[in-house]
Amino acid sequence: MLELAGLTRRFGSVTALDDLSFSVRAGQVVGFLGPNGAGKTTTMRAIFGLVELDAGTVRWNGGSVGAAQRRRFGYMPEERGLYPGMLVGEQVEYLGRLHGMTRHDATAATRAWLERLGLADRAADKVESLSHGNQQRAQLAAALVHEPDVLVLDEPLAGLDPTGIDAIGAVLVEQAQAGRFVLLSSHQLDLVEDLCDAVTIIDHGRLVVSGTVDELASTGPRRLVVRVDDDRTGTWARQLPGVTVSELDRGAVRLMLAEDVDSQTVLAAAMAAGRVSEFTFTRRRLSEVFREAMA
Amino acid sequence: MTGRLAPVLIVAAAVVFIAVRLRRKQTRLAPKWRTRTDGVSGPVELVAGREVRQRLRGRAFRVATGLLLLGVAAAIVIPVATKGKTHPQDVGVVGHLTQSLRRAIGTAAKGVHAEVRIVPQQSRKQADAGLRAGTIDLALVDGDRVVVKHAPSSGDTTQTSELARAVAQLLGVGKAVRAAGLTAAQQAELAAARPLPITGLEPSRTTTAARSTATFGLIVLFILLSQYLSWTLIGVMEEKSSRVVEVLLSTIRPLHLLAGKVIGIGVVVFAQAAVAAGFALLLARAVGSDLLHGAAPLVLLSTVLWLVLGYAFYSWLYAAAGSMAERQDQVQSLAVPLVLPLVAAYVISLTVLSSGGAPPLYAEILAYLPPTAPFAMTALVGLDAVTWWQFTLSAVATAASVAVVAFLAAGVYRRAILRTGRRVQFREILGRASRSPRPDAR
Repeated sequence: MLELAGLTRRFGSVTALDDLSFSVRAGQVVGFLGPNGAGKTTTMRAIFGLVELDAGTVRWNGGSVGAAQRRRFGYMPEERGLYPGMLVGEQVEYLGRLHGMTRHDATAATRAWLERLGLADRAADKVESLSHGNQQRAQLAAALVHEPDVLVLDEPLAGLDPTGIDAIGAVLVEQAQAGRFVLLSSHQLDLVEDLCDAVTIIDHGRLVVSGTVDELASTGPRRLVVRVDDDRTGTWARQLPGVTVSELDRGAVRLMLAEDVDSQTVLAAAMAAGRVSEFTFTRRRLSEVFREAMA
Repeated sequence: MTGRLAPVLIVAAAVVFIAVRLRRKQTRLAPKWRTRTDGVSGPVELVAGREVRQRLRGRAFRVATGLLLLGVAAAIVIPVATKGKTHPQDVGVVGHLTQSLRRAIGTAAKGVHAEVRIVPQQSRKQADAGLRAGTIDLALVDGDRVVVKHAPSSGDTTQTSELARAVAQLLGVGKAVRAAGLTAAQQAELAAARPLPITGLEPSRTTTAARSTATFGLIVLFILLSQYLSWTLIGVMEEKSSRVVEVLLSTIRPLHLLAGKVIGIGVVVFAQAAVAAGFALLLARAVGSDLLHGAAPLVLLSTVLWLVLGYAFYSWLYAAAGSMAERQDQVQSLAVPLVLPLVAAYVISLTVLSSGGAPPLYAEILAYLPPTAPFAMTALVGLDAVTWWQFTLSAVATAASVAVVAFLAAGVYRRAILRTGRRVQFREILGRASRSPRPDAR
């Protein structure tokens, strides 16, 4: 288990991390969420010793994390971390060797990962000549080349097209299924919900919510999705006592019902507003978990 | 000092010995620095290897090397070419070739370091035609007239002109002696006259070749140091701005990354300088340049040594400065205080060297200060104004200062390299607040 215990870091009057504790289990893809400035990147940097902490420890499998352990970690920073003028294959191999691989092993692993991520024919190209999506794939190959036990990825899905998201997402799930620790940050909550087994949400450097996606989705008030033809604002629902409009979702409204609210009352109000084409009880979405946590 | 090669060889051997000892010591302390038997390389080695490969592959290096070799070739070939022919001088002789005339030609040739071939001519007309066609270099007509194709000007230092002047001088003296009515014995005694020995109060000053070589060495030293230090500065800044440094430092220590970069570029510096020096010596030998005369090879060797020491001293400082910047404009403002001593030392040393006289006191002081020693000591060597132990003292002092500078620079680098968002100020990397970088909280 990767454990972050009591991480605290202050920069003058700014507290980036405030006694932050959570853990990542092997075999899970864990989404690391929070608004901008919440301290996600600082936390990830702390795992790699790139930030000196005022307090707290990072432990892995019960032991402290030092240089030797970090060689078994893979890191993909948000602002990417590749030499623009270096050849893709050479760069991935170089980073593999910095993690302790032999030249032979690094070469073989580089070839395999570039093949897996669809970059085999770009191995001899400079990184700067690749598209944004392909640069991200190359960065993922660099993070994975040494077969790390722990994978920490800062916004790995940002700016990718659906094909790229599918490709990288499949790799991350595969890594978790192989028993590795995978921690990724993202603002794309729908993607995180599809991809992750668990999420941790922080704000102002403090833990807000943590749990599996299933646990978080099944907790909280009842949820209703109601679609009334020609109504995209859900004005009719806002006037109902004990009913809160959670989200507007492609022509439907997502509602939270207080315990004493009868769903038939809601249905009647919807029918009064127009023709009802959808009326479904549903689970809490991750975006709702996030918004409610930040509220 | 320039009279003997041994002192500089001793210094070079001492530097190599110390480097090997340090390497062994570092190996004991940090075995990961070395290639291990399982084929896994240490981080410093890997970083340095990447630097070497990237630099050698780059167009900038190829162009710079080409220009450097071109400059070296020009500096060697042009003086030789303007000095004229160095092959045997063909002297056409019209009329009877007496023993005294033959002796006069031989003496004159020896005086200007020329080899002479006598080519008998049937007539003055044939001799003139030979001069115009270039089959002979000068002609003696009836032992009392010297003829060349072009009348030599006062500044003409070609071998043909110098030989013509020397022959004309000797024949003129001979003619005067004969006119004086001396006996044959008296004439023989005069002919056998040898110049008096000249006794100097102080050791002889440097040769023109040594000064020329030192001047050229200073220029190359400045160009190469500027180029490679700029690479170091920009390279560190680019690693920081591209955030690749975060990935690197997630697996290796800052000192290893810094040392690998400095050593890698240093290897390229030394390789390029060695290639240029080797090329210069080979070319000089091929064309018969003065570069191989006297102390000039020693000056060349000394320049290469000071290039390495100068790079070793400044590279750490430039790398530390690079770690404080993220953009080109920030780099430039940080580089100014580092460039100033380099430029000042270069200009002062070049001025002292070109004056050719005894170096002023301030130049001798600068030769012992590590930031200025690479240039000032090169100038003193070119002027033959330094003893071997003074040279050694300066080299050892600079080498020792490199260790101190590296220690301080590594501290700045470690504190500044992960601070992003704006240029790092010195006060930020001093004191308690400096103990770790301040990332952009996300």
